[in-house]
Amino acid sequence: MKNKKLILAAFVLSIGILLGGQEEITIRIREGMPMIPVALPDFQVTGMVQPNDEINRMIYETLWKDLEFSRVFKLVPREHYAYISRFNPNAINFKDWASIQANILISGQLEMAADERIIFSFKIYEVNSTRFIFGRNYGGKKDLARMIAHKAADEMMKHFGEKPLFTSKIVYVSETGNDRDIYIMDYDGFRPTRITFSNALDMLPSWSANNEKILYTSYRNLTPELFMFDMYTGKTELLSSGGSNYAADWSPVADQIVFTSSKSGNAEIYRKDMKTGKEKQLTFNPAIDTSPCWSPSGREIAFTSQRNGTPQIYVMDSEGSNIRRITMEGSYHDSASWSPDGMRLAFVSRIENRFDIYIFNLKSNEISKLTENAGRNENPSWSPDGRHLVFSSNRSGRYQLYLVDYDGRNVRRITSGGENKMPKWQRLPR
Amino acid sequence: MKKFLFVLLTLSLILMFTACGKKAVKVAPTQEPVEKVEEPVTQVEKPMLSEEEIFQQKTIEDLNKDQIMKKINFDFDKYDVREDMKPILQANADWMLKFPTVNVLVEGHCDERGTIEYNIALGEKRAEAAKNYLASLGVKAANIKIVSYGKSKPLVNGVDEATYFENRRAEFVITKK
Repeated sequence: MKNKKLILAAFVLSIGILLGGQEEITIRIREGMPMIPVALPDFQVTGMVQPNDEINRMIYETLWKDLEFSRVFKLVPREHYAYISRFNPNAINFKDWASIQANILISGQLEMAADERIIFSFKIYEVNSTRFIFGRNYGGKKDLARMIAHKAADEMMKHFGEKPLFTSKIVYVSETGNDRDIYIMDYDGFRPTRITFSNALDMLPSWSANNEKILYTSYRNLTPELFMFDMYTGKTELLSSGGSNYAADWSPVADQIVFTSSKSGNAEIYRKDMKTGKEKQLTFNPAIDTSPCWSPSGREIAFTSQRNGTPQIYVMDSEGSNIRRITMEGSYHDSASWSPDGMRLAFVSRIENRFDIYIFNLKSNEISKLTENAGRNENPSWSPDGRHLVFSSNRSGRYQLYLVDYDGRNVRRITSGGENKMPKWQRLPR
Repeated sequence: MKKFLFVLLTLSLILMFTACGKKAVKVAPTQEPVEKVEEPVTQVEKPMLSEEEIFQQKTIEDLNKDQIMKKINFDFDKYDVREDMKPILQANADWMLKFPTVNVLVEGHCDERGTIEYNIALGEKRAEAAKNYLASLGVKAANIKIVSYGKSKPLVNGVDEATYFENRRAEFVITKK
């Protein structure tokens, strides 16, 4: 009898361990899901385009790099294609592709008309079941080739249950000579477009929730005022002035912004309703309160406060109450950025005159370091899918923009020339 | 032994000199003598201007260029006025009290060892501290405006403490006289 009880206890215990283990495994799968092996043979070309044409290579390489960057797909090395028969889109030998461990096969076709408009078509096959999964056709002007490739990569993401990423843009500040203006560009650093043309300092830009407007601070009237630029109408509107007005962040769920203003005489955090124009002061403290950032739910706001002597990260609810301190160690933290899943805060810490980016897990209270002793690293901002971040760093001399994965892997520089900083990645439109 | 060394040294020196001398003779170029051009300097006595005359004659730009109002520096991460900077502020206040029509803009600046957002607030605190100190010495607060540039406009470039000290500053720009 006693034995039986013991066995039962052991059984219960082992189930407990199993369940516990299982839970841990599911978390691990979320973070490090095995990547899907994809083969991307050369495109078939028709019409006015040759296989070696720049346009063909551009679409191919952009699509390749997007999928490689995704952390969702893994590309079968091109060297392996040499061991199997040449890809024929009309008679696909799936066994060949299975033999080089491809799970997904992309069959692409590029056509160029006499007026230089291009049509890119692609079909996705599952190799093992030899099934056609889905296909898309994109047509457009020749100079939109990169955009077409990004759209195709996003379609892949969506089809595999992931969030689109590759058509997203980054807004940032670029400085060449004495000019410092706001620019937007593709996530991979291509196609930069200047959007402000003032002779004064323009800085700290951010996106509206629908990505149609840019909030930024400009010194064009001598003091730092908050402006809003509408990309569709081209109109610029003054949002807040008096004292310094900066670090605006648009709510992911409502037409509300939070920003820092010293219009009352001290740096405090304000919330502004963009429909009624009504403002509400959220912090009341003689210390510096700045750098507000909405949680994805819109219920909380992370911010920086010096109320206990040194700048630390705090979180309050969106009405300004229930303030709690997040960073407990270190003497200098700022620029909090909330991950799209709401689970993590990325921020900058200064330790012995180095700036590095850290990620704080709000569930487990664990802190991990994202950048390692390479110059000053500032202004982290999450990708819409939460797998990557963009930040600025002076590791190579002047400030440039870099991408990094959530686990610190795949650091990649995306700007060069002049100085580029203060990046903000678009969020998924609500 | 010492004597021997001394003799050796003198000998070698003599050798060196004679060797050089011989070479110099061989390659000596033929050169025209240099003609000295001179012009008498006109002595102008500049009249000494009084502080009032300087103020009246100079434009706002020139007054700012001459740094009539001196800048002050701050400690790392701090915004309270340093003891050694108080005499500078006293002199600035005295000057402003002498010319009460003057309006100034106090610019607060930071060194690069801070984040962009936090430095805007810190620079503002510095400008405000300077303004409050001037006001405490009797300058009309309405004549002083402040602005913070954070770390956007460093005075000097470099990565040492002296550079950082130079950049942690409040500047006084005359905007009206």
